[in-house]
Amino acid sequence: MKATDLLERPATRRGFLRGVGGLTFAVGAGGMLRAAAQTSDNDELAPNLWVTIGADDAVTIRFGGTELGQGTMTALPLVLAEELDADWDRVRVEQVATHDPDYGNPRAFRYLGEGILYTAGSQTLRGYYEAMRQAGAQARKVLLGAAAGEWGVPASELETEPSVVVHPVSGRRMSYGEIASFAEAPEHIEPVDESEFKDRSDYRYVGTDILRIDVEAKSDGSAEFGIDVQVPGMVYASVLRAPVEGERPLEVDGAAALEIPGVLEIVVIPSGVAVVAETVEASIAGKDALEVSWSHESRFRDVDSDAVLAEYEAYARDTAYSTDSPLWQDVGDVDAALAGADRVIEAAYVTDAAYHAQMEPMNATASVSADGKSAEIWVSTQSQSMAVMGAAEALDTTIDKITLHLPWVGGAFGRRTEYRQKDIDDALFVSRQIGRPVKVIWSRGDDVRDGTFRPLAAQFLRGGLDADGRIAAVHQRVAAPSVLEYMNPPRWANARGRDGIAMNGAQETRYTIPNLRAEHVRMERCSRVLAWRGVASSYTRFANESFIDELAHASGADPLEFRLDLARNDPRGRAVLEEAGRLADWTRQRDGTALGVALSDYGGASVAAGIAEVSVDEGTGDIAVQRFWMVIDAGLIVAPRNTEAQLEGNVIYGLSNALRERITIRGGVVEQSNFHDYPVMRMNEVPEIVVKALTSDAPPSGVGELGLATTGAAVANAVFRATGARVRALPFTRERVLAALREV
Amino acid sequence: MASFNINGQAVTVEADGDTRLLWVLREHLKLTGTKYGCGIGQCGACTVHIDGNATFSCLTPLTAVEGREVTTIEGLVGDDGHPLQRAWVAEEVPQCGYCQSGQIMRAADLLARNPDPSRDEIVTHMSPNICRCGTYPRIVRAIERAAGEGGQ
Repeated sequence: MKATDLLERPATRRGFLRGVGGLTFAVGAGGMLRAAAQTSDNDELAPNLWVTIGADDAVTIRFGGTELGQGTMTALPLVLAEELDADWDRVRVEQVATHDPDYGNPRAFRYLGEGILYTAGSQTLRGYYEAMRQAGAQARKVLLGAAAGEWGVPASELETEPSVVVHPVSGRRMSYGEIASFAEAPEHIEPVDESEFKDRSDYRYVGTDILRIDVEAKSDGSAEFGIDVQVPGMVYASVLRAPVEGERPLEVDGAAALEIPGVLEIVVIPSGVAVVAETVEASIAGKDALEVSWSHESRFRDVDSDAVLAEYEAYARDTAYSTDSPLWQDVGDVDAALAGADRVIEAAYVTDAAYHAQMEPMNATASVSADGKSAEIWVSTQSQSMAVMGAAEALDTTIDKITLHLPWVGGAFGRRTEYRQKDIDDALFVSRQIGRPVKVIWSRGDDVRDGTFRPLAAQFLRGGLDADGRIAAVHQRVAAPSVLEYMNPPRWANARGRDGIAMNGAQETRYTIPNLRAEHVRMERCSRVLAWRGVASSYTRFANESFIDELAHASGADPLEFRLDLARNDPRGRAVLEEAGRLADWTRQRDGTALGVALSDYGGASVAAGIAEVSVDEGTGDIAVQRFWMVIDAGLIVAPRNTEAQLEGNVIYGLSNALRERITIRGGVVEQSNFHDYPVMRMNEVPEIVVKALTSDAPPSGVGELGLATTGAAVANAVFRATGARVRALPFTRERVLAALREV
Repeated sequence: MASFNINGQAVTVEADGDTRLLWVLREHLKLTGTKYGCGIGQCGACTVHIDGNATFSCLTPLTAVEGREVTTIEGLVGDDGHPLQRAWVAEEVPQCGYCQSGQIMRAADLLARNPDPSRDEIVTHMSPNICRCGTYPRIVRAIERAAGEGGQ
């Protein structure tokens, strides 16, 4: 890209180039070098897209993800600052709040060949890590070069201290700001070689507990979330949504609603009937006063989730049945290995739908122009790109006509990954019709009943043991709908039938198993579906690691020893297993409790071992989790304290789901509506949690979802060791535990 | 319509008496630190103090605060900060942060009654409030820290 191209780019980039003037470095997220852009006045150095250094020593670092509470808005700039050797106290983080492909996550899917700003799947730190290091190192190199030129010394004689270039031979010093006031970014910067990056032992910030930049505003009520947005002239809308997906209003009687003071208008939009009012309370009262008769034509009217799950299980068990999905994994010759096995073990596992239960209900504020072809939107989202593209599609316009404002996000867990986020749609359609800015707030009930769930899934596993009791083959059939098809049609169109949202974790193993197969038996969806924390791992890994336990039992082996043997060729997997076993004191005899273990890869990079200690009330079927240990290796730990907090949080999320969380659907209607009937874990239910991150040489990978990949199986395996009962249905409700106990 | 004190200042709000205090605070008075989470007193994101008692503002009609003292996170922290708020930062409690105003208001109610709570007392007192990110272990630590520093 030429410098002139940069100047023609809209929004953020031009914004920072203008600023107080200066010098810009240019490296895209993919690590591609770009020509530097020189601004007219010259007291600022912006060596690349990611960083601008002001004459006042301020260092502005851009963040292309979204901060959902996971801490990457601190961790990524910290990585850049580390390589730049910037003074962290002078760093200001700037949110990229638009779809600008150059800031796209290198590990995200691409759209029309371009990068996407998308924060999901524990891919943000991992995805941007190299780009941040490269950007920081290049910027430092430019500063060193400029200082060397100014002083007439070789750059090799220069060193840096935080935000200062030092020439030890002469004792001269120049701050980054001073350099920025005269330096010019070169037309082209070579990539900095790995060997020139800072040695980890020299890190000043990475690996220490730097306070996350969002914590202070989130501790005094001042952080502005999507739902807090207020814009001039704004009105409110509450939407009475169709009771069943796919239905539409046939008759709307809004007379009573319109009599409520403050109610302005009733507007039919694709998701239902919106009551627009001057106040939020009038919009809610108006919604409650609406009389609407709905169509009865949707196929979802027939949905009974228990029946659907039984149907999925029948398809999963029918090994002769397959869909056109390509095999997810296929190693060796599973059929031959199973045919030749000494013993074949089979088991089916089912999981209910699950709701995100993010604390901030879906909401959006939009202001659509009079011609209906451009809009400003304010919304909590996991993807700037999807938000802008979805809004442009909704208005049948182009993305340059959409201005996105990105407030703080009150929890996400996948809920805000949709290509067409429905809260944005609601706000756009209402605003377009009434010609005013509008804030649409979903009630919690709507957030649950119109939830976009982790899909129902039924899995059938077959495993072959050889005469030595070692695993010869495992075949896993996952009967679940395509999530991507609903969640993100453009992405699905390019996925060649491989649905990573429905299938991640299936047979993605750290074990040495010579013959492996995982297949997606693609079912019709019975609800709205979306990525959910841990993506598919909360069910695929539950099945995989429960089944490994069943095979261990069949071969008469200790579950931990069995896994250590299976992980014999994976030192990182072995290490986390060994450490978890040591922390939990695996071999100690216990009174009334038992331990269960699970090992999980995540994304081919992170690995975690979880051990649950449980007791089971065999009279009531209640499982009490006393303790949970999780040991991980996620490569370089950029932020140790935040990593621990993430691990605790995802263990709690995983245990909450495994023990109780369950969405059921009858007649197409979601039966749950709020936290009383979708109970998530509260403080008095949290067990003692011990987490530990092992250090390794690998680059940083995800830590936000490992608890989802390990808790289900660890608890189920502990229940088995405590009682001999194998629970193969998640969540482990009393009824299911009692049923499993009866089979002992 | 109702007149009451909000964070020490007298205010009169023109709204239907049935209007939930939550919406009065957030949308009429622009005190958005108090959050909507469930609307039925199940999650505690809306927790404020009425005459010093932690209360679900999502369940409280405007008429119920006539003549009373309402304190929100903005008033609790004020210009000088609050020991709990400082402890929240010191322990790096928030993740997404959405529930934390309510958590702090609930915790302040505890420390006002019980300046040196046991761990069990903290857990029992805080359990009306949900944190979906799972910051519970950090919340306990922060309350213990604030209590240790004599903070109410």
